[in-house]
Amino acid sequence: MGTVYAKAPEPATVNNPPQEGPDDIDFEHIPVKVERVVVEGVGRTKDDVIIKEVRPLLKAETFQEMVQKSHEVKQRMEKLGLFKRVGIFIDTAKDSANKDSYEITFEVREFRPISGGMNTLIGNNDASLLFGVKLPNVLGRGEKVNGEYTHGTKQTRGYSVMMSKPLNANPEILLSGGIYQFHGSYPWSGYKETDRGLDIDLTFPSVLGMHSLRWDGVWRDLRSLSRTTSFAVREQAGHSLKSSLKHVFVRDMRDDGILPSSGSLLRLTQEYAGLGGNVEFSKQELELQFNKSLFWDTVVQLSLAGGVMRPLHKKDDIRINDRFFLGGPLTLRGFSLKGVGPHSDDHPAGNALGAEAYWMCAAHIYTPLPFRPGKGGFGDLFRTHFFVNGGNLGNINFNDLQGSLKDMGNDIRWACGWGIVLRMGRVARMELNYVVPMAVKQGDSVNPGLQFGIGLSFL
Amino acid sequence: MAGDMSSSPLVVDAFQAEIGASEPWPVDVCLYQQYAAEQITFPDYAHCLSVKTFLYMCGLDFRVEQKTNAEEMSPSGKVPFIHVGAFLVSELDPIIAFVNARGFNLVSDMSDTERSEMRAYMSMIESILVNAELYLAWLDETVSTEITKPRYGCPYPWPLSWMLPLRKQKDVRARLSSNGWKDKTIEQVCEEVRTCCQALSERLDEQPYFFGDNPTELDALVFGHLYTLLTTSLPEGPFAEIVQKFPNLAAFCKRIDEKFFKQEEN
Repeated sequence: MGTVYAKAPEPATVNNPPQEGPDDIDFEHIPVKVERVVVEGVGRTKDDVIIKEVRPLLKAETFQEMVQKSHEVKQRMEKLGLFKRVGIFIDTAKDSANKDSYEITFEVREFRPISGGMNTLIGNNDASLLFGVKLPNVLGRGEKVNGEYTHGTKQTRGYSVMMSKPLNANPEILLSGGIYQFHGSYPWSGYKETDRGLDIDLTFPSVLGMHSLRWDGVWRDLRSLSRTTSFAVREQAGHSLKSSLKHVFVRDMRDDGILPSSGSLLRLTQEYAGLGGNVEFSKQELELQFNKSLFWDTVVQLSLAGGVMRPLHKKDDIRINDRFFLGGPLTLRGFSLKGVGPHSDDHPAGNALGAEAYWMCAAHIYTPLPFRPGKGGFGDLFRTHFFVNGGNLGNINFNDLQGSLKDMGNDIRWACGWGIVLRMGRVARMELNYVVPMAVKQGDSVNPGLQFGIGLSFL
Repeated sequence: MAGDMSSSPLVVDAFQAEIGASEPWPVDVCLYQQYAAEQITFPDYAHCLSVKTFLYMCGLDFRVEQKTNAEEMSPSGKVPFIHVGAFLVSELDPIIAFVNARGFNLVSDMSDTERSEMRAYMSMIESILVNAELYLAWLDETVSTEITKPRYGCPYPWPLSWMLPLRKQKDVRARLSSNGWKDKTIEQVCEEVRTCCQALSERLDEQPYFFGDNPTELDALVFGHLYTLLTTSLPEGPFAEIVQKFPNLAAFCKRIDEKFFKQEEN
């Protein structure tokens, strides 16, 4: 009896025909009949999900198909969050008269009913400590409950309890929902905010990419951060209730999320706030990225992002906590965090007020470190890059669309520079750059020279 | 740093008073409060009325700006607050100090004894009338359910319209619990108000103002609270009757209303 840690076999192609010979077995043409599937080690996982997952195995007709399908079943069961480990054993069925009969045994290990942990999280120029409790596969069909507490450097505090469930035993279609409370401060705008909310999220794939449809109902309590907060921000203090529906579409064809060398990314976000509550606007955002490898592991990256929002009723204003901001060490380099665009003018360093539209673009040339120290290991986490980035943040007057668009195109801020990028795990990155701001407008908060940034979203 | 300044408001207040002294009263002074007709609760209304009366007594011009979020905008979290140039000052006592620092003083020709007597009466109002108003507005079952909570929650959509009044009620209950007012009965509260009015009535006697012929901040404070108690129509209004039993106090309210408010309207 042999263990088959199944790997998807390479399909036979014209260039690679199955070789003839007495020792070679043509797996594709060995007929099989899967007589029995045994799953050992099942505790709280429900039978109906397992039966649904393993049923396709019984239809396997050739040996190769059987192995391939067993592998798929293993992957799906792991992806559903049913088991921690799945081992596959394939053997001939012993008590069967038919010599083509096989028996497949899955040896599974379930998750412990509860697990906890502590992690550090990197946000955009913010770090926090996360304490989490997880209940995997809590009801036996891949449901997960996740409780978290985060404690951050910039007075950020958050609690959340989320539940998720794969729909129809399909690991790609995930329904999740939860409640959360989050307290954060926004020193560039001079306010702090406490959010308490509920959300429901449905993630599903389509032929084009991944979709996420999310409803969020959140009570936001905005307060001035200090006595020096400008009056324009202070006027917006108070409670607001936002009930919004958001659709995010992502088509990510890149080979890596942090330091890609080829492929493109398209992300489209639409948000409609105004299903109850007293916050009413619609918001559209777009992000595009192209990567192309050149000679000597050099990669050229072009990115473009933009967004626009408008209130549902003409006379309404959009609150500061919904507006767009621009600038920072990972987006529009050369400017302080949220340092571009309208600022209150009653203080030496005014509060960033945000605006209703923005665009920015960036061009990078990434190369490995000079002389390539640590090649093939630690050194591959680093890149040097040269970049040019530019953009603008402003308000759009929909009665004078052409004029507004012209303004958005005229007052461009841009900067160029050079720096080192460090990849941190699979989601974050760190940059140390020397930046020269080339075009700045009055009121902008500029950060020339060395600039350090760490975060999840970057352009 | 901004954060450091916010941690010691006293320093800021002193700093503001110092700067304030060198500048005249600007033309665009604004007093912020909640919407008087639909939103404001009567204890807050009394505070706003006291401050307005004080400013009128000083002969200072200002504009009233009504905002649903006046309470959240206020640096101290309480209404009213005034916006003078670059400064924000909230509540009566800091406003009095601020206005005095700008050279407007109602009590400059009073003796020290009179001043401390006035202070004593003012703190009696704070410790009796203010607590009695909060008790009636938030702890009395009928008044809080029928009047105070719906008014307090009216600018917000559901479910904030019931969550925020409940939260405010909890805060008021905690405050009244810490100073021993929570466990009083309505009769005991009325008795406190009666004692307070008795003391005020005796001090006022037949004078036009509490300290002779010129108004002081005590007059502004008393008017703000008594006028509010007299004119607010509530499903249960024991306080108005109590005040009415002191004819000189009722006449005092009428007099100030006519002198400082009817005039302003014209």
